[in-house]
Amino acid sequence: MAPVVTVAVYYNVGFRLEPKGRTGFAHLFEHMMFQGSANVKKFEHAKFVEANGGSLNGHTDFDYTNYYQTMPSNRVELGIWLESDRMRSLDISEENLKNQQAVVSEEVRVNVLNQPYQFFEWISLWENAFTNWNNSHNGYGDLAEINAATIEDVRNFFKTYYAPNNAVLTVVGDVDVNDVKKMVEKHFASIPNQPMPARADLTEPPQTKEKRISQTDKLANLPALAIGYHLPAQNSPDFPAIALLIRILQVGESSRWYQRLVKEKELTLDLSGGLNYFGNEFDYTGPMISTTRATYKPGHTADEVIKEMDAVIADIASKGITDKELADAKVSYRSNFYSQLEGSMGKAHLLSALAIFRDDPQQINSLLTPFEKVTAAQVKAAAAKYLVATNRTVIDRVQEAKAQPKSEK
Amino acid sequence: MKTLLAIVLLATTVFAQQKTPPPPGAARPLNLPKITEKKLANGLTVVLAPLPSVPKISAMLTFRSATTASDREAHPGIAQIAASVANEGTDTRTSIQIKEELRSIGGSLGLGSDADSTTMTATSLSEFSTRLFDLMSDVAQHPSFPEAEVKLAQENTIQNIRAGRADPGFLVNERFQKAVFGDHPYSFVVPDEKSISALTRNDLRAFVTRFYIPNTAFLVVVGDIDVDKTFAEVEKAFGGWKSGTVPPDDNPPVPKRDKRQIYFVNRPGSVQSAIYIGNVSIPRKDKDYFAIRTASTIYGGSFYSRLTRNIREAKGYTYSPFSSSNTQAKTGSFLAGAFVRNEVTGPTLLEIFYELDRMRVLPVTDEELNAAKEYSTGNFSVELASQLGLAGRISTIYTYDLDKNFINDFRPKIEALTTADIQRVAAKYFDTYHAAVVIVGDWEKVKDQVTPFGDVTIYDAEGNIVSKS
Repeated sequence: MAPVVTVAVYYNVGFRLEPKGRTGFAHLFEHMMFQGSANVKKFEHAKFVEANGGSLNGHTDFDYTNYYQTMPSNRVELGIWLESDRMRSLDISEENLKNQQAVVSEEVRVNVLNQPYQFFEWISLWENAFTNWNNSHNGYGDLAEINAATIEDVRNFFKTYYAPNNAVLTVVGDVDVNDVKKMVEKHFASIPNQPMPARADLTEPPQTKEKRISQTDKLANLPALAIGYHLPAQNSPDFPAIALLIRILQVGESSRWYQRLVKEKELTLDLSGGLNYFGNEFDYTGPMISTTRATYKPGHTADEVIKEMDAVIADIASKGITDKELADAKVSYRSNFYSQLEGSMGKAHLLSALAIFRDDPQQINSLLTPFEKVTAAQVKAAAAKYLVATNRTVIDRVQEAKAQPKSEK
Repeated sequence: MKTLLAIVLLATTVFAQQKTPPPPGAARPLNLPKITEKKLANGLTVVLAPLPSVPKISAMLTFRSATTASDREAHPGIAQIAASVANEGTDTRTSIQIKEELRSIGGSLGLGSDADSTTMTATSLSEFSTRLFDLMSDVAQHPSFPEAEVKLAQENTIQNIRAGRADPGFLVNERFQKAVFGDHPYSFVVPDEKSISALTRNDLRAFVTRFYIPNTAFLVVVGDIDVDKTFAEVEKAFGGWKSGTVPPDDNPPVPKRDKRQIYFVNRPGSVQSAIYIGNVSIPRKDKDYFAIRTASTIYGGSFYSRLTRNIREAKGYTYSPFSSSNTQAKTGSFLAGAFVRNEVTGPTLLEIFYELDRMRVLPVTDEELNAAKEYSTGNFSVELASQLGLAGRISTIYTYDLDKNFINDFRPKIEALTTADIQRVAAKYFDTYHAAVVIVGDWEKVKDQVTPFGDVTIYDAEGNIVSKS
């Protein structure tokens, strides 16, 4: 084992739960967690971790926000102390809030506003596919709303969601478990709990008819298409089958949609997406849509692409998949699962998700089982049940008319 | 409620919030990888390193003779197209057969070319290693370049490049490589449409026969392997590969800049300026490799770097400023960069230059240097703990012909650096007075902030010069 450790804290709050009128706030708050606490000055968290041979980051997702550092394993107590200090005593100042509002605004510009397509396969697709504000709003945030956030908003969010009883601490690596337990006790035990926040209603009414949206893009040179289907809940008996079906359709160059769209019909340049746009089958808890994104070739239309995708679905819904296709999908699923678990951070991530959403990290040892048991008949049934037009949202995003690019000099 | 409060108070008296960072414990042993090198009769170098982190393997087969410069006069861009079509069919397998075989072994296999080599990177579950080696060997020796696959790749490459020209990240990198490397083949980023269209199936087959040869190639296998068993599998799969004639090395002169120059790619509608500032640096084998790398860590190559503290944490100009030292076989480049809102384009240039000059004029502190050393060595251990990370690291040793002890020597070489070493390389390579300054943005919106910094040549997104001052 490498002499390395990951210390991660996952808070049970993501951008679905940020306040109305404050899109992007959960992520802005994540930035504030690097602005100092009682014994750690602004940005010193980064200094301590890097000067001790580690790397660090944080990430805001649909349903969680995490903070993590991977370091030489003999620095484990430093990571634990740093995380405890900010959970206990985050230091929030007006000046630091202004600074991070500017930084986050630049993050939104670099990843969304100054980019062709502007992340439409996430932001626009979710805005249109969902009706409940918690699910549908732009989690990266509207610049005006990011900059409207106040210091009171930051204090309230911290008090409501950043308490130990709404978080999980995960330590993975080359360390002594008993030593680590003592360190955790020492630094975390006295941080007071808070009343558990009321859970927001994340339920979605069932979709009854197809949604089609047309958009134009000022920066893109080629048209693109995004499609999302509402998925069954993770505890639905249909879930493992639809998860494998999505892989069979669009993961890898052997997949059915890739073969049809890119290779046979030569309609699209690429095909990407999956079951959970930001993560995997286990690291979310609210309603989810699948994501499919393709850049298609000039001279073609979105309808042509969708027609071919539908023909593939119809084929599976009527004839099913072959035994070999199913067996291979399971092998590739298993292989991908192992890769996710290779590093200490990969293990920490999955353990944390299972702890925070299912209160059962032990499930990491049996997660593959339901997927290994899926039958070809279940995959066929899942195609017929979920991959229907009335259950989907389609966005066709076309570049604003401009002169055909000249050839390069 | 009262009980809860009592418990909290009790806990607080036992464990008061600690005010200072806990000291490190005793370091755990760093088990450096055990690396075995062997050679096949046809000249193929085989390097094996067990790392059973997961029941998988990662294999990298690097063709050192197939670079983006190979055959560039007759067929510019051919290395890239060959790499993208080589896994789309062999003499005995169709494209879909290759992809389905990969899926059934939980695998992946792709090729990419750069200025110093073409590399095939492949993974699979370790239980299927022989099938992966068979596939790799077939793609290396017998790619058939089917007519239809070549035509599709040509068309899609042209369209992908057009799509890329909408992306400021693509444009700033392309212009930077051209500005810094000039006529040197390292300036190559993507081929032009005419060169792509002109390629034929026969050109590609000839290219592969000439440049994908075992006697200049090496295969690195890392993962859940047994060295002897895996070597036997490799020998069986690759033993029949015929040696080729080693192409002559060509070493064109590296351009030298005589002044600072601004290269502005006009992208109307931009809400940010994408900025790269840098110059030619050193080849990978140069003795200053560790010093420049560490200077870059202090300047902008880590989160707690000077540039991030300044233009992000103090001034809020940008999200993710950076610097990087990119060293390659024949030369390299150092660059600093940031993507900033239009309004602070000029102030950002000022701060990037200021921080570069500060590194040249004043020594860094001992504290900064020690932090950078810990950062480099700590993260090196993390890199070596992943199969692909270790395979990639070993591959650089062979691609750049480094000392075979590179991995073991990494820590002592980093630890030997002094603040004088950092200042010396900064003075030489962080040279703001001869830098290439590349900006992608909306010229009309930011021109007044840019022109004070030097002469400007303006390009359009296709690379045509629009105006020159």
